[in-house]
Amino acid sequence: MKHKELSIRFCGIAGDGVVSSGKILAGTVASIGLFVMVNDIYSAEIRGLGKSTTTVRFSGKKIHSMGDGVDLLVGMAGKESISELVEVKSGGAVIYESSEPGELVEGESLAGHIPPDVRGYAVPLKRLANEASGSNRGRNIVAIGALCYMYSLPPEIFINHITKLFQRKGESVVENNVKAFRLGYDYCQENYPLREEFDLPAAGEAKKLISGNEAVARGAMNCGLQIYAGYPITPATKIMEYCAKDLPPLGGWTIQVEDEIAAISTVVGSWFAGKRAMTATSGPGLALMSEMINLAVMAEIPAVIVDVQRGGPSTGLPTKVEQSDLNIALYGGAGDSPRVVMAPADSEESYSGIQLAFDLAEKYQTPVIFLSDLFLGQRIETAILKEKIDRNRSTRKKATAEDLKNYVRYQLTDDGVSPWIVPGESGAFYTVTGLEHNLQGNPNYEAEVHQSMTEKRHRKFESMIQDIPPADVIGDEDAAIGIASWGSTIGAILEGMEIAREKGVKSKLIKSIMIHPQHEESFRRFFDSCQRIIVAEMNFQGQYAALLKSRYGIKPVEMHLPAVNPVSPKAIAQKIMEVNDELTQ
Amino acid sequence: MKYVIIGAGVAGVTAAETVRKIDSDGEIVLIGKEQFLPYKRYLLTEFFCGTISKEQLFSLSCEDLKRLKITFRKGQLAKSVDFENKKVKLFHNETVSYDKLLIATGGKPRIGPALRSFEKNLQLYYSLEDILLIKEKLDSVRTCVVFGQGLSTLDLMAGLKNLKKEVIYITKKPRAFFPLLQSNSDVDVHQFLSEKGVKIITNDRPVSVEKRDDKFIVETFNGEKLTADLVFAWDDYRPNIRFLENTKIDRKIGILVNEQLRTSVEDVYAAGDCAEIYHPKIKNYWINFGYPNAIEQGETAGKNMTGLNENYRIRETLVFHVLGKPFEARWWE
Repeated sequence: MKHKELSIRFCGIAGDGVVSSGKILAGTVASIGLFVMVNDIYSAEIRGLGKSTTTVRFSGKKIHSMGDGVDLLVGMAGKESISELVEVKSGGAVIYESSEPGELVEGESLAGHIPPDVRGYAVPLKRLANEASGSNRGRNIVAIGALCYMYSLPPEIFINHITKLFQRKGESVVENNVKAFRLGYDYCQENYPLREEFDLPAAGEAKKLISGNEAVARGAMNCGLQIYAGYPITPATKIMEYCAKDLPPLGGWTIQVEDEIAAISTVVGSWFAGKRAMTATSGPGLALMSEMINLAVMAEIPAVIVDVQRGGPSTGLPTKVEQSDLNIALYGGAGDSPRVVMAPADSEESYSGIQLAFDLAEKYQTPVIFLSDLFLGQRIETAILKEKIDRNRSTRKKATAEDLKNYVRYQLTDDGVSPWIVPGESGAFYTVTGLEHNLQGNPNYEAEVHQSMTEKRHRKFESMIQDIPPADVIGDEDAAIGIASWGSTIGAILEGMEIAREKGVKSKLIKSIMIHPQHEESFRRFFDSCQRIIVAEMNFQGQYAALLKSRYGIKPVEMHLPAVNPVSPKAIAQKIMEVNDELTQ
Repeated sequence: MKYVIIGAGVAGVTAAETVRKIDSDGEIVLIGKEQFLPYKRYLLTEFFCGTISKEQLFSLSCEDLKRLKITFRKGQLAKSVDFENKKVKLFHNETVSYDKLLIATGGKPRIGPALRSFEKNLQLYYSLEDILLIKEKLDSVRTCVVFGQGLSTLDLMAGLKNLKKEVIYITKKPRAFFPLLQSNSDVDVHQFLSEKGVKIITNDRPVSVEKRDDKFIVETFNGEKLTADLVFAWDDYRPNIRFLENTKIDRKIGILVNEQLRTSVEDVYAAGDCAEIYHPKIKNYWINFGYPNAIEQGETAGKNMTGLNENYRIRETLVFHVLGKPFEARWWE
């Protein structure tokens, strides 16, 4: 059998090297130019005690999602891997440990549960690892050697990658790992000579691997992030870790503060002083930040808030994905409290999108909530980033000499954006408050003032249209079925559309990183061109569908996809086919 | 009742099906060492020659296994049996307990000491895995060297000739000889094979098989040097019962069973090519090989495992076809 793509899952517990297995496999195939996506799943409890899995999907073609099922399950921990068997595709395979020293109780071994349409390969991972290095530690490398043979992958690319990876740890570490790899490879060659093939394209340029969280951090740092303030929370903490490591050498600051309120306060304060600042959190943190975001809306101070969404409400499901913070991002503030809401679909958009978030926040003096999610934030994928470092980037509407003659902070303008000077710059003093205010910023509760200021704060969003990218329409232009979605669900939709297309059903997708505001005209045109619209998202309420219904008056077929695991492309394809059946009846 | 059957060949599968017909609730565990669903080994040459598809080889589908409530442990090798505690120990150290056990592990080709050091250069022709590996190479194969005395060797040569490959057959005997019955005396196998284009080297045997580039160089005792794309060689077939070493079960070449296919160990049965069955006429044990016998043995063993007491009726001969010619044989090697 020749595979155009492969999906391989490692499952184990602490010390099994599950995550590093994924990194080694992904790093190797990316080094020869393949497209890769890696997703880690672990329990919410203290990391290291429970079961964890890493899934690596790779292909010569761009990968948009984790797909459906896995071709190979590597059960590093037998008992814990049993529940993963349902994910193995029919015709797929399982590698299981065959050198456990003690007697395994019937029914508690992975082998005893392998369904008949799946092949099981007993490999003495521990014994071979011990042979290589005198300890069990390299058993993940043994497993990589085994799978390299099983799918006819060239061993030299793995050996090169392993050598580079362990080089700084010394020659003997490299030798032990290469030996462990070889032993796994040779064992399979000798015992399971019949192997499958991966359709390896001609070697291309090595691709870079990046997570959504890293892309956000790098994008922010490259466009002038000066201050990162945050409080750790799964799954956003990595953003702080990247900033802690890389921002100080660039002259910036990373501050871990006492809670999320302090974090957003630091960010708003920094922006008030004219410094590009950002925080990252997840649902519970965003809830805590609501009041301070409202202050930023009222006082027209920029802020960039990244919400790497996880399952909710409350502390919810810390290590599972859900797209259910859209409502709080859009509406989570007292009063008429407009804010920009953006949602990237992948790492490339996370990188470029966060830079747009900074530019919009600064130019339009408004908070921007950047909705990533656990799947997007944590997964690692090959991405082509158009990296350009511009630490002095600024989109601030500065006060001209004319403005400074009689400077008012909240000057009414056609575009709703007032010239802005920051403390320390000469020319003016003004008041900043969360209370409704007049042009100078002084508290004022008159109806006319409130009306004109509210209009001003909303007018900015109309002006902003000129600076936001138009929505993308992907797929068959003449298709009767249109799909709208947001964030990381987009990837599964692209692959679901492809599955449906292979079965002869056309569809098209409208996607935009902008949730609010949007290029409404392009959405209207798209919806008008469809006979039936599907809105798919990972939440129970259909939050994006509700927004689109109220905004565009559409009556879509809603897919409120079960959260916890990334979306299945097959489920999307199935829905497209069902809708097509209804249309053609 | 828990029935465990080691071996997913014809005998094992028939036994499992038979047990299920009689005992609808008993737990059935079928252990097969190969990475495939149970298949009909006797059809391998037809699959090799392309007259049937791979799917037609399989005797039980996943749906069949589900319907029959058979737990199939695919690709799992029995390492030993603890008859005292009624447990089968598998290669990966898991133990499977049983109330009734059937051993139906068949036979396998054995490479003798002379060629053992060249084992990695030799191709077997025994399992579906072997056939699939050969098929992968087949396009680039022109010449094959075959060495062996058993009927499977004859079967292989028939397959290779059907596929229009050049075949060089080496035999230790003065003429190509196979353990056929006197009833075939009208057929001279040596002449028959020669007429079909098989080159036969007599009174000789391979002493080394070396790989050189993509070819194999076979040197014979008499100094012949042959170049081949594939070299098939084995000395004989033996019951596949090595995992029973150091156990108390009675065995000679195979596992000794009485006419009810019971072994010397209580609740343990054996059937198919791994079993030596007591023949009341000759008052000795013999291996009643071939798939029709394996089916009948599987059926008898299955019935007796459920508590019946049926005798297996030994077949004296077996008819098979080589290149369109019917042959009768008695011995399996």
